[in-house]
Amino acid sequence: MAVNEEALMWVEKYRPKNLNEVVDLRDVVTSLKAFMKNPKIMPHLMFAGIPGTGKTTLALCIAHELFGPNWKNFTLELNASDERGIDTVRERVKDFSRYSRSGFGNVPFALIILDECDQMTGPAQTALRRIMETSSRTSRFILICNQSSKIIEPIQSRCAIFRFSRLDKQAMKEQLQCIAKKENVKLLPEAAERIVEFSEGDLRHAINALQTASAYKQGEVDEKTVSLVIGEASPMQVQKMIRKALFGDFIEARKTMYEIMGSYGFSGTEIIRQLLREIFKMSDLTPEQKAELSNMIGEYDFRLTQGANSDIQLSALLAQFGKFGKAVGETY
Amino acid sequence: MKNDLLWVEKYRPKKIEDIVGNEEAKDTFVEWLKGKRKTKKAVLLYGPPGVGKTALANAAAKEFGYTIIEMNASDTRSEKAVNEIAKPATSYLALDTFTAESKGNLLFLDEVDGIAGNEDRGGVSAIIEIVEKARAPVIMAANDPNIDKLRPLKKVCLLIRFHQIRIPLLIVLLQKICLQEHVKADFEALEHIAQNSRGDVRSAINDLQSLSEENHGLTLQDTMTLTSRNKDISMDETLRGFFSVKSVEEASSLLFRSSVDYDEFIMSVSDNLPRRYTNPDELAVAYDFVSKADLFRGRIGTEHWHLLKYFFNALSEAAAVAPESYKPFELISPPIRIITLFWTKGKRTMLDNICGKIGSQYHVSHSIAKHEFIPFLKIILEKQKTSPLISSLELTPEEADFLIKMNRY
Repeated sequence: MAVNEEALMWVEKYRPKNLNEVVDLRDVVTSLKAFMKNPKIMPHLMFAGIPGTGKTTLALCIAHELFGPNWKNFTLELNASDERGIDTVRERVKDFSRYSRSGFGNVPFALIILDECDQMTGPAQTALRRIMETSSRTSRFILICNQSSKIIEPIQSRCAIFRFSRLDKQAMKEQLQCIAKKENVKLLPEAAERIVEFSEGDLRHAINALQTASAYKQGEVDEKTVSLVIGEASPMQVQKMIRKALFGDFIEARKTMYEIMGSYGFSGTEIIRQLLREIFKMSDLTPEQKAELSNMIGEYDFRLTQGANSDIQLSALLAQFGKFGKAVGETY
Repeated sequence: MKNDLLWVEKYRPKKIEDIVGNEEAKDTFVEWLKGKRKTKKAVLLYGPPGVGKTALANAAAKEFGYTIIEMNASDTRSEKAVNEIAKPATSYLALDTFTAESKGNLLFLDEVDGIAGNEDRGGVSAIIEIVEKARAPVIMAANDPNIDKLRPLKKVCLLIRFHQIRIPLLIVLLQKICLQEHVKADFEALEHIAQNSRGDVRSAINDLQSLSEENHGLTLQDTMTLTSRNKDISMDETLRGFFSVKSVEEASSLLFRSSVDYDEFIMSVSDNLPRRYTNPDELAVAYDFVSKADLFRGRIGTEHWHLLKYFFNALSEAAAVAPESYKPFELISPPIRIITLFWTKGKRTMLDNICGKIGSQYHVSHSIAKHEFIPFLKIILEKQKTSPLISSLELTPEEADFLIKMNRY
């Protein structure tokens, strides 16, 4: 697919193509470079860490460095949260190792990048382990996940694990300034500060916020615009749902919940994750109240994984919010 | 015993015109049977019990000279059983085809909604196969056609709906029987029997017979002893009963008696709970129990049915959180979820397609595309309607428009 690089979103346009372009992550990059010098010794890799810290980027860098511009011929990219079931993964891996030549130049294998592995169930992971074994002569895996603890031991033990921590704030600011310069946008320092603070070490989020802010006003991004973007891009419906529930309007809160699920196809788990994030952003709650709500959310997050129906668990959580809101109201 | 024959048998309709009510359904059916089943090979007659579905099949067979071969829910309807009995009946014309009176066989499958899970495995697909291969007419009857398992049948069948028999028609019928049986009955008495039967002819006739055996002249007073028939308790009734119970025990005995689908029921309970408990504290407690019931439902899965009692117990607790606060309210049905998901399906598909495009170009999952890209992309497109991103993402004009107009998360 020949896509005009200029017209891409900045996260892709400025995604590093080789390991030298990568900001921060010095330790990881140093180790990976050693493998690039002698690909024969490269084991399966596992990248674990929070979103937007460069896991997928590094995996793609490796593909570039190993196979050059035609990397796509030797690389299979799969996303565990999109591919339905391990059977699909197995089929695609099998097909891939059959049709792709096993290797290129001095690289004796093809590369399989499996993103969001921690979304896979236990049995699926066990099956994945088998796939890794049977195709290990012809392929190397790069497994990407948020939490390595969600990956079964046998897989972990087959991989060299690299942990990605939150990106350094200074490095992020530099990267944003660098992109802004290339795009002929003047990024004011306070604005950069605000973006970095808001993104909590997630560079993808930061770059998306920067690009969106620059769409407001040509040529300059100031703090006010950034705040506006942050407000606009945060989940308003979820906030509405929380407020309705806390103020005892359960029926409206649940209606909003169904809207979120229905119109956007959010799963129960996704809604709960956002709920928690929004609760911690609410300035009119005391830290103690936030802690209590967080406990509640945690309980129902767990029940969600055990129960049969996420609608019921979410509704039940909203009802608990109603009770909590009432108790808080009465103490004033 | 005053009569040696059950009246329901004695007065079973012999001809199609003897069947009370449901004129439209009868006409459609006769048209189908006469028209050599050109449209669909089979019919599914559906409607509440005792409104004449079986009677129609039997009367029609008699009138049009078919030999009826019948199977109903009491026969096991596994694939094998269906094949053994039903196939010969339909694929070969019976010997008496050539006699003047008979046109051949007619296969009648009664109570097809009784096809149960494991025991009758393959039953539905076997029936479809029969319908497809059949030369003889296939008639099916069901009380509730909305059961998932029967959905495939709908494709190969002409659906004919039966309604409850209207009360005046039912009274006329009862009056006729009284005349024949020399029973003196007050109009009000017959009216009460008819109403009590809820348009179910079979149960109305049974009631009339049992009452007139005890009483020579039938008055309204006599019919007061009629207890509500012990039929399957419907979803609405179960819900109504459930929300008005006085104790946990009452709720659990109601649940054990009812035959509603558990998954539908707990959803309906969830839908209606805020109407039942308007006090947030009560609602929270009740919802906690419903949530626990759902946990048990999750553990039951498809095999651990011995845990069902815990599911019931938790639900029963939810019903009796505050018996004193009960006030009658209007039930929400059908389930909110189904309505919402139905109306928003188009939106979701559109959004999923866009996320797919983002995912493949930006190396992210649909989920990350939805959360980390869509909100920003939406704002960018709002600000720059002709953004080059539209073409680089290969968004159709409709998709771009959708993003701009959609509500924020």
